[in-house]
Amino acid sequence: MRSMPPSKEGRQPLSDTKNAPEMVNITINGIQHEAVAGERVIIAAEKAGEYIPRFCHHPKLDPVGKCRQCLVEVEGPRGKQLLPSCAIYVTDGMVIDTQSDVVKKAQKGVLEYLLINHPLDCPVCDKAGECPLQDQTMTHGPGESRFVEAKRKFKKPIPVSDLVLLDRERCILCDRCVRVADQIAGDPLITFNERGNQTQILTFPNEPFASYFSGNTVQVCPVGALTSTDYRFRARPWDLEITPTVSLRDTVHSNAEINTSRGRVIRVYGATNDHVNDGWLSDKDRFSFGAINSDERVTTPLRKTGTGFEEITWADAIDTVSARLGAMIGTEVGSIGGANNTNEEAYALSKFMRTVIGSPHVDAQLGDGFEPQLAAAVIPRAKIDDIDAATTILVWGPDLKERLPVLYLRVRKAVRNGANLVVVAPTRTGLDAIATHVIRYRAGSGQDVIRKLANADKSMTAILETLAEGPVVTLFGRTSIAEDPRLAESVAAYGRTLDGAKLMPLLQRANVFGALDMGLAPNLLPGRISTTDTDASSHIEETWGPLPDALGRDTAAMLSGAVSGDIRALILVGADPVRDFPDPQAAEKALEEAEFVVAIDAFVTDSSRHADIILPAALWSEVEGTVTNLEGRVQVVGAALPPKGQARSVIGMLNDIATSMGAELTSFDVSVVSKEIATVAPAYQGITRDGIVFTSSGAGIVVPSQEAEIIVEMAPRYASMAPDAVPTEASGSAVIVPAQGTQPLGYIPTDQAVPMVTDRYTLHYAPAMYDDGVITRHAPSIADLVRDPTVGLNPRDASILAVANGSIVVVDGSVELPVRIDEAVPEGSVVLPFNHAATKGLQAVPAVTVEPIRDES
Amino acid sequence: MSWLSDLLGPLKGFLVPLRQIRKGPVTRKYPQVKRVKPQRFHGRHTLNRYPNGMEKCIGCELCAGVCPANCIYVRGKDNPPDNPVSPGERWGFVYEINMLRCIFCAMCVEACPTQAITMTHLFEMSVTNRDDAIYTRTELLVDRDGTPNYPPHEDSPLTNLEELRKGDGWMRATSPSGRREYEGIVAWTPSARTGELPAERGQSSGTPQVSEDADG
Repeated sequence: MRSMPPSKEGRQPLSDTKNAPEMVNITINGIQHEAVAGERVIIAAEKAGEYIPRFCHHPKLDPVGKCRQCLVEVEGPRGKQLLPSCAIYVTDGMVIDTQSDVVKKAQKGVLEYLLINHPLDCPVCDKAGECPLQDQTMTHGPGESRFVEAKRKFKKPIPVSDLVLLDRERCILCDRCVRVADQIAGDPLITFNERGNQTQILTFPNEPFASYFSGNTVQVCPVGALTSTDYRFRARPWDLEITPTVSLRDTVHSNAEINTSRGRVIRVYGATNDHVNDGWLSDKDRFSFGAINSDERVTTPLRKTGTGFEEITWADAIDTVSARLGAMIGTEVGSIGGANNTNEEAYALSKFMRTVIGSPHVDAQLGDGFEPQLAAAVIPRAKIDDIDAATTILVWGPDLKERLPVLYLRVRKAVRNGANLVVVAPTRTGLDAIATHVIRYRAGSGQDVIRKLANADKSMTAILETLAEGPVVTLFGRTSIAEDPRLAESVAAYGRTLDGAKLMPLLQRANVFGALDMGLAPNLLPGRISTTDTDASSHIEETWGPLPDALGRDTAAMLSGAVSGDIRALILVGADPVRDFPDPQAAEKALEEAEFVVAIDAFVTDSSRHADIILPAALWSEVEGTVTNLEGRVQVVGAALPPKGQARSVIGMLNDIATSMGAELTSFDVSVVSKEIATVAPAYQGITRDGIVFTSSGAGIVVPSQEAEIIVEMAPRYASMAPDAVPTEASGSAVIVPAQGTQPLGYIPTDQAVPMVTDRYTLHYAPAMYDDGVITRHAPSIADLVRDPTVGLNPRDASILAVANGSIVVVDGSVELPVRIDEAVPEGSVVLPFNHAATKGLQAVPAVTVEPIRDES
Repeated sequence: MSWLSDLLGPLKGFLVPLRQIRKGPVTRKYPQVKRVKPQRFHGRHTLNRYPNGMEKCIGCELCAGVCPANCIYVRGKDNPPDNPVSPGERWGFVYEINMLRCIFCAMCVEACPTQAITMTHLFEMSVTNRDDAIYTRTELLVDRDGTPNYPPHEDSPLTNLEELRKGDGWMRATSPSGRREYEGIVAWTPSARTGELPAERGQSSGTPQVSEDADG
């Protein structure tokens, strides 16, 4: 097994360099070009407009020179030499020939050689039509094969994991998948086997290719050797309609392409945005689209009856909702959720609650996050690119590999390029293997670690030396849902004291940062404005009308208010508090007690089945708009399909409810809503959806931004036109004038002095990547990948409890699960998977009891 | 003499019908009498089988991809390993041609890598319902003996089965089944039968194979 080389020297710089690159002169086919010193010849030639055929070369992977397709002639001291252009680097005065007869002969020869054992089953191969081997055989190949003997045969296809199939006959041994798994994902689970003609890619015996990033190998495979189970034979590339979008499975917002065919999402491919995801996706991003096509989706409005739900018309549903909500005082209504929606939808919800209903009770977080102002407006905020630039990275939050997998790849890339990494967590995380230092603490005693770090405790000397090497980027968040949310702020406050500090808040749910920016928090207004900032809120009142005076309640307070009767109606917007709120019983009780519950949801969940009315909501890939990721980057999501059945965008249904209540909310047109945000929300000044589509080079814009002021507003009718159709001043466009005198909030974290949890057993309760979430549960390809739940215990605790691996224990009197004895669990901690069918109903409290089950007999 | 030509002109016109009377009528008493179609006649499609009964179609969608009228819809699926429908990994479990849209250009036939789709001499496809014009696998697949199925006209008097068996054909410019001996030979491959029939090397040798009774 190859491991990651830790060396900082001797590595050629990747395609992007931090400092201004040194330029050299090279000659390609007799023409002088400038190239970046140290760049691979194949990349330099491509920039100069000379395409060299290649299979193994990938700009994000280390060169191996395996396929020999990119041979070019380079002049050397002994005359021209054939060299693989992917594995040599440009030097000053280099003379390269990519078109000579010798080169052509070599390239043709290599292709003929590669095709000797390639089965040529293109008609049934999923790759055909977008296959580099096909394309380059057409452009650079010999056209005819002299090979008449029988081709090599393998059993095909063989599943290397639950998601990926391997066809060894098609493989051309380019090493791309092996390198992606090893260098990018850090899961070296596939490799070459056998020798000579029998060389083949295989997994290790009894070790499936169970990587969270296995889908990327399918995407980089230059032939159809690796295919995904859920795309196999579903469509051909020329059937596919491509919609650029970003993935909303976590808050990184990896760029992706939705491929649809005949009104169904067929697959999701990664798209390259070097500022965000480098082209990689996690398997959850890639394979969770099955939920969109799910038959269990709610496709018509539903009304609760004595026995279940009955289908009703939209008109009926809107009338009922507006009549029931209209009969209540504004502050008796609360809305929970909105984090799974676009910024425009979240904005509409925020405006709907605050102006039409007149309630300040909105919260996009379900008690599983932390202080909204800290998340939305912490300064100095780190961009994802800052991770690359950092000398030291401090990660103290959720397990990145499980929860923010693409961010894990970015941290990994930075560490490969030489950054130091300090990981602090109560138990093992995916980053431990590459960390310079790992600090493990007993769940509930995080503040103690901060105190030790801040006071330069002797036990921390080595770690503090590493942390002294700035700039330091601190990635902070809640390590588990049972952890005190204030600890994240203490971590941020500590991270802020470090050299060249930058902070990145780690919340995990879809577009939660966008929702917070749109004011879906009790103490925030759109555009990162505190509700206590009277100047800024009066600016919003100019457009919105008067804002409610009362103090907003967060999810916990809304749920307890529903029980006590202060809150009579709850609006759940894509929220499932019964599963996601730390106290599921309380959430369930609140939903039962509330007089009227409306759920805007795509599925009947444990929460929405308590609703009086369920309004079918459009999902990702069915709505367009903008979203904001964890660095504040605003990007565009595209609508690839019309919403399933009668499902609608939240904007549409809220507009209708508002009209029915005699009020006016906002436009039905996303472009117009986006424009309204650009004028109302200070942090989003001048940033419109159309502007990002047409003028931001596809990378999105980090808010608050200076460059945003130049983005022109476009009338909606131009929005669907090509970029060159951007209207000029004369045809009616106007430059948006930013509102004067309002500044978005800058939140400085302070140490919260979180008390230690001193009980015998403290709980570490964090979800894995494949959990029992609504989308995962309804996506057929990943639903079965949920790991078997266990109770992680320290060996010492296990011996005190007299339990062995696999013994059943009862946690908190309610959950019975087998024990997994693990050195990585600190003494006194209990590790349980959150949001798992087996732990359903377990309250996320800091301290729990653990009882072994004794055999009665 | 202009007066003479003025007089004879109209009379000359009568010579045309007089000449035609001698030749007899061009029209046929269709459907009692049917014209024999030329060998390359582009009638409706069939999906063919191998002699062992396996379907030739592998659901590759190349026909759908090449179709200029966009009238073919194919979807592939994994072959059940214990009871495969076609040789290989994949079979076309959905195969539909909208005959109202089809322009009978036979690009699908040319694109097909397995000679699964070919065109027959069948052309009578009148329907009373638009849905019936969409031919599915049921209508397109030939029987085990290679006889085309043709619901909804199972017992139609319009079809001359004899003519169908006598054969029609399609020209292939490449080696039909990837065999070396046909490499570069332009040849005929008869359709609407089971099995891989050997190419008749008529085309490249300059003597095209035409049915004896082909109508002018």
